[in-house]
Amino acid sequence: MSLQMKSSYNNELGQWELVAKGEVDISTAPQLREYLDGAYREKKADILLHLDELNYIDSTGLGVIIGAFGRMQESDNRIKLINPRDNIRKLLNITSLDRILCSDH
Amino acid sequence: MTDILKFSIPGKPEYVGTVRLAISSLANSAGFDIEAVEDIKVAVSEACTNVVCHGSPNREECYEVACEVGDGRIIISIVDHAGGYDTAKYQKPLTDCSCPKEGGLGIFIIKALMDEVDIFSELGMGTSIKMVKYLSRF
Repeated sequence: MSLQMKSSYNNELGQWELVAKGEVDISTAPQLREYLDGAYREKKADILLHLDELNYIDSTGLGVIIGAFGRMQESDNRIKLINPRDNIRKLLNITSLDRILCSDH
Repeated sequence: MTDILKFSIPGKPEYVGTVRLAISSLANSAGFDIEAVEDIKVAVSEACTNVVCHGSPNREECYEVACEVGDGRIIISIVDHAGGYDTAKYQKPLTDCSCPKEGGLGIFIIKALMDEVDIFSELGMGTSIKMVKYLSRF
């Protein structure tokens, strides 16, 4: 029941690469918010959030991502979710968030 | 023939994951497939999160999760004493516009994932969410 995050700035592509591993729920969502906001504060650029190793996310985590999306949109930056697992893809689909957050849409 | 299991949980964020694990283990042994177990897991977690987020400031106070398994279904009731809210004021979140809002997704997700959902809330008292998932018949 924990979340591990890694972030690095890709100079070549001029974007953030963030990796989320574990679970995002009400107890770990603040940590996700801190990583997203921290990276964006350091450098205003697009964020790619890699979800290959994320097992679980719920509305609190999706809320954090929506919040970041909104703040980044003001400066014309995007946040993209990469490789969500089937269970997470299903949630993104029923909430229609895949249309604005997933690159394959 | 059904069995009833009851849990009483302090309204703290760190225990939502414990409930999620317990219920998914129960749903798994009740014969639900992986996708249904995931659905139940998310729905229960959303309901607990609602209690913890919107509940009483006194997080020591417990809420109850009751599960009835058997007869080809699982019925989960989550009951809190956190003051209730006006269910008529709940609005489906607008996520397909370009400016989705940050909150309000929980109930929407629960309704999308479970076969039946009933919410009773009494202002000044508390809220109870009852959700049912049926075993898929082949």
